[in-house]
Amino acid sequence: MNALPDSAAPLLEAKDISLSFGGVSALTGVDCDIREGEIRAIIGPNGAGKSSMLNVINGFYHPQKGEVWFRGEKRGKLKPFQIARQGIARTFQNIALFKGMSTLDNIMTGRITRMRAGLLWQALWHGPALREELEHREAAERIIDFLEIQSIRKTPVGRLPYGLQKRVELGRALAAESKLLLLDEPMAGMNLEEKEDMCRFILDAGAQFGATIALIEHDMGVVMDLADRVMVLDYGRKIADGAPDEIRNDQLVIDAYLGAAVQE
Amino acid sequence: MSPGVLNTIEVVLNGLMSGVLYSLVALGFVLIFKASGIFNYAQGVMALFAALTLVGFQTGQVPFAHLLNAVFGTDYHHWSSGMHHAAAIALTLLVMVGFAFLVEKLVLRHLVNQAPIILFMATIGLAFFMEGVGDLMWGPDLKALDIGLPSGGSLWWEEVTRAWAAPGAEYYGMYIDVLDVWATVIALALVAALTVFSQYTRTGRALRAVADDHQAALSVGISLRAIWVIVWSIAGMVALVAGIMWGAKSGVQFSLSLIALKALPVLILGGFTSIPGAIIGGLIIGVGEKLFEYTVGPMIGGATENWFAYVLALFFLMFRPQGLFGDKIIERV
Repeated sequence: MNALPDSAAPLLEAKDISLSFGGVSALTGVDCDIREGEIRAIIGPNGAGKSSMLNVINGFYHPQKGEVWFRGEKRGKLKPFQIARQGIARTFQNIALFKGMSTLDNIMTGRITRMRAGLLWQALWHGPALREELEHREAAERIIDFLEIQSIRKTPVGRLPYGLQKRVELGRALAAESKLLLLDEPMAGMNLEEKEDMCRFILDAGAQFGATIALIEHDMGVVMDLADRVMVLDYGRKIADGAPDEIRNDQLVIDAYLGAAVQE
Repeated sequence: MSPGVLNTIEVVLNGLMSGVLYSLVALGFVLIFKASGIFNYAQGVMALFAALTLVGFQTGQVPFAHLLNAVFGTDYHHWSSGMHHAAAIALTLLVMVGFAFLVEKLVLRHLVNQAPIILFMATIGLAFFMEGVGDLMWGPDLKALDIGLPSGGSLWWEEVTRAWAAPGAEYYGMYIDVLDVWATVIALALVAALTVFSQYTRTGRALRAVADDHQAALSVGISLRAIWVIVWSIAGMVALVAGIMWGAKSGVQFSLSLIALKALPVLILGGFTSIPGAIIGGLIIGVGEKLFEYTVGPMIGGATENWFAYVLALFFLMFRPQGLFGDKIIERV
């Protein structure tokens, strides 16, 4: 199925992943590779196992079967926070921001894996802790500039409109400067203009911050424009994988998900 | 000013100062509740335990002396004549941090994703357990706690206020215990330090992040367990300060753990999730109960301080169940 030449080494490889909850199987024997520097889309009907796949990659779920290889090493059974520290950041389908905190604090919290100063220095607010704080504040400001959210820097994010919350969440994920960025429906519920902005941010994020991106999205126009490669899930199985053009014309995918509309 | 007005001011001042101590205990509850959704019934016993441990270190007691003597037939009670206040406080802090580690390792870790009521029950168990361990370690007798803070009425303040009264009026000045003033200053400093810490440091942000959203906190690389240890350590520190202040006033004894119950109405007033709420709630209860006792108390036979706070909380529950500053829970159907 994979027609692209293996130009880049895979950053992450999930091999033969099977995940079930009691008797319900969410994923069955799914292989998924994400190459360094690409934008990888996962599509499929609701309940196909797309979010489950992301949750396996970032460690919220542990599959009953299968292996995950990250940066050329087989990953043991790690906790989500350990995986985040290895360099995988993510956003959530239904926004999981720290609602009581300001935009800036949310983004600063995104950098938490990069901060080292000990508890004592922090308590004294001096020395390495202070230096580190300033350094990371600069990095956070770069992200704020990049996402054009300067004006809401100090606003508690719970008060922001939906579209901006999505943007702040992207900012928090970017802040970690992770190798791999998982975006779960970054454009869900947005209007056209917001979607266009978000597309631009995602494309630029890849270029500016050197992130590899895996995203789930329902808007086919967006997926076909953004993605380098697309993987299609249906009922927890992979039914297709390849370049957007191949996917568009794949009969299985058309039957299961796309329908006739894209065929014209 | 007339003596009546001056007396009222005196009552309010004393109310504010005892309110600060209520706030301090309530703060311990709020910290843990925000970070882990647990209502920590053991907070009061933690204060008692911290105070007992502090006195034990200060006077050089041998921990578990009775038990050891009974088992080995020895007769040790003190291993030294005691140590300096600062050293004893530092050691007690270490003990409270160690306690936080144990709570996480032995209790919280095994109850992840359990219903809040289960966790609440676990903390009730923890309270009884600590009470027992405290007794066994340091003995059940009433102990005096003195860390060298000045105490007794302030003569200077009495002089100053006496001059405020109208000339010739029968007024002898206000009574204010210097210990209360110190307790207030220390409590305020602690609250300010905690606020700054949680606003401007990495760990502070992580604490707030965990309070807001566990899943998101995990996804940015925050270890919930580490945060729980930190939160329980801070709650232990707050308990130690509260234990020192109350212990210095009325001795270290079992009833110290019951001040935790006074924190309940404070929390109902201020809201379980709000640090400013805990502080203001404490002040309102402190002033409210003193004023009530002063004005209404004599008419109904006094001793209103025992129940006033709870009645006030009951009224609050009727009209504003989320408290003054708490999050309103909106259930979408």
